[in-house]
Amino acid sequence: MFRTFAAPFVLLALALFGVSDAARADDTPSGADIVAAADRVRNPQNSFRLSLVLVEYQSGAAHDSITLAVHSKIDPATHQYRNLVRYAAPERDAGKLVLLSGATMWFYDPASKASIRISAQQRLIGQASNGDVLTVNLAHDYASRLIGREGIQDADHQPRDTWHLELTPATSDAGYGRIEIWIEKGTMRPIKSKFYSDSGRPLKIAFYHRYESALGAARPLETIIIDAVDPHLVTKVTASDYRAEDVQDAWFQREYLPRFSEE
Amino acid sequence: MRGLAGVVAGLVALAPAPARAGDDADLIPQDVLDTKLPPAAPGAPRQTLRSKVFAEDAFSAWSPSVAVPVPYPSSLAAWQNRTSLDASLQWKARPWLTLTLGDRLNVFEQDGQSFASTDTVRNDLREVSATIEPIAGTYLEAGRINVRNGSALGFNPTDFFKTRTLVGQSSLDPSVIRQNRLGTLMLRAQTLLSWGSASVAYAPKVAEPSPVTESNPVGVDLHFDATNAAHRVLTALNLELFDLSPQLLGYFELHRSKLGANVTRSIGDAVVAYAEWAGGPEQNLIVRASAFGKQTGTLPAATLVLPPAGTGVSFRNDVATGLSWTVATAFTINVEYHFHQSGFTRSEWRNWFDLGSAPGARPPLTGALWFVRGYANDQQEPVSQHQMFIRVDWPRAFTPHLELSGFAFVSLLDGSVLSQLSASYYLSDAWTASAFVSGNFGDGRTERGSFPERGNLILQLTRYL
Repeated sequence: MFRTFAAPFVLLALALFGVSDAARADDTPSGADIVAAADRVRNPQNSFRLSLVLVEYQSGAAHDSITLAVHSKIDPATHQYRNLVRYAAPERDAGKLVLLSGATMWFYDPASKASIRISAQQRLIGQASNGDVLTVNLAHDYASRLIGREGIQDADHQPRDTWHLELTPATSDAGYGRIEIWIEKGTMRPIKSKFYSDSGRPLKIAFYHRYESALGAARPLETIIIDAVDPHLVTKVTASDYRAEDVQDAWFQREYLPRFSEE
Repeated sequence: MRGLAGVVAGLVALAPAPARAGDDADLIPQDVLDTKLPPAAPGAPRQTLRSKVFAEDAFSAWSPSVAVPVPYPSSLAAWQNRTSLDASLQWKARPWLTLTLGDRLNVFEQDGQSFASTDTVRNDLREVSATIEPIAGTYLEAGRINVRNGSALGFNPTDFFKTRTLVGQSSLDPSVIRQNRLGTLMLRAQTLLSWGSASVAYAPKVAEPSPVTESNPVGVDLHFDATNAAHRVLTALNLELFDLSPQLLGYFELHRSKLGANVTRSIGDAVVAYAEWAGGPEQNLIVRASAFGKQTGTLPAATLVLPPAGTGVSFRNDVATGLSWTVATAFTINVEYHFHQSGFTRSEWRNWFDLGSAPGARPPLTGALWFVRGYANDQQEPVSQHQMFIRVDWPRAFTPHLELSGFAFVSLLDGSVLSQLSASYYLSDAWTASAFVSGNFGDGRTERGSFPERGNLILQLTRYL
């Protein structure tokens, strides 16, 4: 009903503002399809683990770093990833765990034996929050709108022909008020994204960099996150040691956290 | 024709716009792009032994004692130095067997105390246990185990095994205190299921209770007379329901059995709300303290219950509820309200001060009054019925290596405050320097203002090994 009524206006909007999901050239995938394809590029579909090193730079000089091991598995009920993150370094933080299952995020400190529920905004290091290092299907948490095609520069200043999309929260689990994302046409590789607060304030810019083969696909092994307010603050997240892993469902409840040993 | 025009317009819109000058990519420093970390060794063998070992020195100095309405019964040290070696080890000896050890060896030097005194060396065996997993998801444990429950930060009514577990601390921050407390000798079984988990723990009585003391017995005292002075059973049921993660607990101890519950819930992506409740039949704090003092010989058997309080047993509730709010991903604020029905009322505080400050009030009497507060501290329960707790944590404050935090307990009965500010600077991945400044604020006839020591400074250096 709505589609029939809206068709002339959609055509007008197409001419004036670019492409929309409701009316597009035949070879143009929908925004949701593009974001889902980019999710598949970023994230293996089967359960896996990887190592992450987060280095914080200030005016180009490295200041701080942490090393994490991330274990991820899709929840078949929600199609969203569940994540268990273990701090490996520095030594003062080693052994601490962060668990994300559904909407709940828990922090476990083996020193205090305490599992504390935390928010996605609590920051790990630099510009990276807990939500940034966790494996997330954006297509699940956000509604996407295809703005149009756009040529942009990637992190290496190479020109890329991309789909430019706007993501807005579709579930209460969405961590940002709005996301803009540029996904390379053809390869469906995410190139760049911009994150905004609920009030529309720009928070950070992320570049997806150094695509290399990992678990059967070319994936971005580096994510470079730039503070939108102070661009001298940059955090680089480097992924390595992707491994398929039989991640047990029991790992994703807080009572398991004291038991976790990566065996 | 109109259709063709639409397609043309669409194709124009779909053509890529040219890359713009001043692109965001210009914001990336070249060094950041050039730095390439060595990849982790693929398939590196998993560790079966995990350890965290550190050495720590903490120097504490207190402000000179001031005259207070109720004289403190013992002399107070002006300074103390603690040197500790702390080790936490976990060894997965077999796929079904895990061995755990947590221990801290302390050496104390203190104002007015000989270095060769019996209080100089103390070993705190926090944990030593064996865990077997006979079938997947089911665990049986035996040994000294640190079982902790509770969703709040400042006061945990459902943390039933917290009583009498405090050992040498630097910070007064409840979040830090939990990092060095004694476990309880127990047998525990737990099963993890798809909908949650269930556990039961039995902690036997293996010794008669020791007195509440500020002294540190020498050597390798296991302190079972503090942690295992009564038979206790704790059952817990954890559920994953309605984004509340409810936890239901049943605690059984002669004359002090309780039920408890915890719930937490996210509100948006920056706020977490939580509530914790425990309740059961028991006497009030003053009467329990008096009975314990007599049982352990600290108070003469004929000592009256001071300040006067009803000795009846009734159902009493403990509640801690609050929220944490992360502001701009930078710092986190916790605000909590604590209700401890067994604690002092306004009239009981008035009696406490009136009795202790009366002409002729002397140590047997003042000692008994202060003993109630010492007992509450030993039990890790508030003295007053109503208080607020506020905590702010600002990691990476000004620089990535600095973490600032502060907390305040505010008595809602008299407005007095116990507050602490702390700063930790990460000199390197291995070295951390910390400073803690705390103070009691309030006039002499308030909970916090009645302490003879108004301020405390602690300087601490930690080296991870």
